[in-house]
Amino acid sequence: MKKRMIQIGSILKHEYLRCITVGCIILFAILPLLTLAFHVTGEDWAHLAKNKSFWHSITNSLIYTGASAIITTALALIAAYLLNTASLKKKNVFVILLTLGMLVPTISVGLGLRILFGKNGFLDLLLGWEIEVRGFPGLIMGSVMTSFPATFLILYDALHYEDKGPYDAASIMGVPRISTFFKLTIPYLKIALISAFCACFTLIFSDYGMPMEIAGKVKTLPMYLYDQFMSSFQYGRGSIAGFVLLIPAIISFVFDVIFKDQSVNEKQKRLIKADKGFNRIAIAVIIVLCAILFLPQLAFISLSLTKSFPNDLSFSLEHIANIFSNTHGVGLSQYIQNSLLLACLTALVGTCFAYLLGYLSVRKSGRMAKAVDLLALSTIAIPGLVLGIGFIFLFKGTNGTFYGTILILIVVNIFHFLGSPYLLAKNCLSKINSDYEVIGETLGIGKGGIIRKVLIPNSASTLIEMFSYFFLNSMITISAVAFLCTYDNQPLSILITTYEKNSNYEMQSVISLIILVLNVGARVIFSIIANALKKADNKETEGGIGLSRYEFDFLTYLEKNGKGQYSQRKLADDLTITLSNTTKLIRDLADKDYINETVNGEIEISEKGLKMLEPYRVRKAIILAAGFGQRLAPVTLDTPKPLVKINGVRILDTLLDALYAKDITNITIVRGYKKEQFDQLLEKYPTLRFIDNPEFNLANNISSAMCAIDLIDRCYICEADLYISNPDIINKYEFQSNYLGAKVSETDDWSFKKRNGYAVNYQMGGTDCYQAFGISYWNGEDAEKLKEDLKKTYNNRGGKENLWEMVPLKICKKNYKLEIRKCHKSDILEIDNFIELIAADQSYSKYPGYKGFFVN
Amino acid sequence: MGTESIIRAENINKKFKSKTVLEDVSFEVRRGEFLSLLGPSGCGKTTILRMLIGIEKPSSGKIYKNDVDITEAAPRDRNIGIVFQNYSLFPNMDVYHNISYALQSRKLDKDEIDKKVREIIETVGLEEHIYKKPKQLSGGQQQRVAIARTLVLNPDIILFDEPMSALDAEIKVVLRQQLKDIQKKLKITMIYVTHDQEEAFALSDRIMVINDMRIAQLDTPYNIYHNPADAFVKRFVVDHLDMKVKSIEDSIQ
Repeated sequence: MKKRMIQIGSILKHEYLRCITVGCIILFAILPLLTLAFHVTGEDWAHLAKNKSFWHSITNSLIYTGASAIITTALALIAAYLLNTASLKKKNVFVILLTLGMLVPTISVGLGLRILFGKNGFLDLLLGWEIEVRGFPGLIMGSVMTSFPATFLILYDALHYEDKGPYDAASIMGVPRISTFFKLTIPYLKIALISAFCACFTLIFSDYGMPMEIAGKVKTLPMYLYDQFMSSFQYGRGSIAGFVLLIPAIISFVFDVIFKDQSVNEKQKRLIKADKGFNRIAIAVIIVLCAILFLPQLAFISLSLTKSFPNDLSFSLEHIANIFSNTHGVGLSQYIQNSLLLACLTALVGTCFAYLLGYLSVRKSGRMAKAVDLLALSTIAIPGLVLGIGFIFLFKGTNGTFYGTILILIVVNIFHFLGSPYLLAKNCLSKINSDYEVIGETLGIGKGGIIRKVLIPNSASTLIEMFSYFFLNSMITISAVAFLCTYDNQPLSILITTYEKNSNYEMQSVISLIILVLNVGARVIFSIIANALKKADNKETEGGIGLSRYEFDFLTYLEKNGKGQYSQRKLADDLTITLSNTTKLIRDLADKDYINETVNGEIEISEKGLKMLEPYRVRKAIILAAGFGQRLAPVTLDTPKPLVKINGVRILDTLLDALYAKDITNITIVRGYKKEQFDQLLEKYPTLRFIDNPEFNLANNISSAMCAIDLIDRCYICEADLYISNPDIINKYEFQSNYLGAKVSETDDWSFKKRNGYAVNYQMGGTDCYQAFGISYWNGEDAEKLKEDLKKTYNNRGGKENLWEMVPLKICKKNYKLEIRKCHKSDILEIDNFIELIAADQSYSKYPGYKGFFVN
Repeated sequence: MGTESIIRAENINKKFKSKTVLEDVSFEVRRGEFLSLLGPSGCGKTTILRMLIGIEKPSSGKIYKNDVDITEAAPRDRNIGIVFQNYSLFPNMDVYHNISYALQSRKLDKDEIDKKVREIIETVGLEEHIYKKPKQLSGGQQQRVAIARTLVLNPDIILFDEPMSALDAEIKVVLRQQLKDIQKKLKITMIYVTHDQEEAFALSDRIMVINDMRIAQLDTPYNIYHNPADAFVKRFVVDHLDMKVKSIEDSIQ
């Protein structure tokens, strides 16, 4: 028994919260429906059974809803398929354009159609086309336009998460695209299509804003319901109509609960891009679709900007200017405030509540978790209209404290829109690793800590999406709120219905425009925030300047070798990584658009890939060339060592050529001994700059480094006396700070050993080690440290006696992790004394004074 | 490693509703040893682990740690750390904060936390990655962070819940070595749940083979291989390993 108590104690808090939230949903979503039932009498049933207009309204609704749902689903499928399959750069722009209709109330779409067609409509006035749209044609047109965005998004999302691997396989096998559409896409989409059709049907069936404007003499079911409540006061009959309205929503809900496939597998993106012809067709179709969908908006925008419709169509800002003035009896600013306040509060409270529901249903199992989930989902099925009347019945008694205040509007909106944000929260939270709470417990971090520090930061973008959903929908809704708002607190969307009654097109248009503008603004702000978050996240995870080592190596390899067909085996060999990593890498980079792949299997680095490499670019080179080069005397008595010619080529030229070949032209040479001789270099290398080191014969080469200290940043620091036989030891890009070294069995030159890839044990001579060559690269971070440490060392007593590389490799070695950049010993010819010079270039055996010097 | 026991489980039974998962299981874990719980999936090994950590309670039976009854103790009072299959690092925190978070929430002195965290980071060799986010780390580094995150609280035992099952074969070998090194260095008791026979043999001082709700055999790898306790152990462990060796031999001959 005691055991049970403890267990109960630890989950009590959750169950407690679950009970409260379940209670909330029951009170604000289920009870309102039940109260409707109490108002139905047997007489109502009998009446409706014989009532022709009731049955007419049902058949009417079914006819136009069925027709439009089929058309919408088909159009949405085409648009979603084309947009998904085409390889376009800014797909999101098209998604936004195609879903623009979500930002205006449905009644505004009806309004737009009415002022576009029909007597005295724009088409009539401008072209003399008078088309009667009121009735079924208008209803179908309007329904398609209002339901398209949601339907499109369902299908677009479903396609987006489809595994694209089979399509690549099919195109490699030469299967035509149209065949893959019917054999792969449609079967895959089966459930999504039915689900989209159901959602679309429900949406159209229960909408009454758009039909209000355009139904004409055709009565629809929501309008019948509205009439029963608002003009005939036959609550029982209205309630029955409400229940009929629920039927398609319930069918759709049950279908979704049974078939919802919630496991989103890791998808493979398409590697083979669509061809240009297909892209063109896709773009054309989508643009035409966007244009048609935008027509109603265009109509009411134009009307808001004309002087006096339909008599004077000249441009005028009069209506816009009147928005904030009270001279015409209507100051809209009050209603704008109402709308914004309602939308903000709904979004704020709704987001918190939906997130809490998501947390309670996914993050900890318990008996009530399932109940929370099912109830939260069930709110999707309740049409706003039905919820609105339910609220009237249930809360009439609280007049003044709840009913009749903005509170009830917020609550009704939250529960009306709850379903989708709840699903967003649930999906997001269920994807976050379920072990965090356990980890938290073993680490002694409370659940609150995990929620605050782990769950919320990891669902930031979902939270924004949820907020946005609540906000935008609160701005455009008329269904539930219409029954509950007062004259004073009614939002803009409701105001449209008021002006609809007296056919005031101007005011309806202006209000629709304001809502559109506010919603576009809100949407922009939300996406700016979301992007900023994403960017911050990317920046953090990509660490400083962005690429992983593998990615860097791969991209620089492509940059160097150009476009071509690379077998994975060759890539794996050249990059010295495993074949499986190569495959993964190619897929990752293609996903990030860092590389382009063509149909015939060629790969090249993309613009974006080049951009990602840019931070790693070697900016400049500093060449330390001030020394005397004692060991090469007597040649160096006349010429500084870097300018000594071997087989006709100056030693320094080999380095300069290598740098120039990699576009590194910002080169500074620190010179001292016989400095004027260096001027001759300018002829061949005009971009060279010189710094003179006056102390070259008093101090060691650290003094030369000091001369150029301000230049050290993302640069090579090179010794000037390396005769380079392989120019590829100079790179255009470097991943991190490094020092060039060649693996040798033994050396009597400076060497280091490798530990974890980094240089350690810098010393003279060594066995089984790396011989150090005086070319090193310094990234921004290390360059800063190096400057500091060089200054410090130089100013210490005896500091001037040091070789500069002693600072990072020995004196202050703790501060640096210098990678050993591997080269072959043969890449660089070391000429350390006159004998070696002769070995490289026989002509020096006849050098005047050589004999005497040698004997000496 | 001594023979002194750190964990003693006595007559553990566990039922979920009417389904029995463990039946009268008793065992001891020795201080400082590396013990693997090996068995086919669904045999109850993860349930044992969850009971040791305290997120599951036995239906009957007792668990003692250092002779103190911890059967009912809350996870945070047990001083046992856990490393999960996918490491479950906090994705929004860098290495440093992943490790320091537990200390911070205990409201310790700031400098003390810092000192401790850096010490641990050095122990597991992550100095260069201290400010990286989990996404930027390799599998091996993530494992080290996960271990460091538990180490920072000075646990008596660290439990591993199939930590390598999702990884490539190549990486596994490296991680095994790494794990072994850390264990040697810190001489900490580790209990490792796996269904991979090779892994258990490569890592463990002793292996507990579990089958059908009971312990089939608890012994050193040597004894298990040479003296399997029953037909299951022979089939599941000995034959499996033999087959593996044989298939490799066949392919390289």
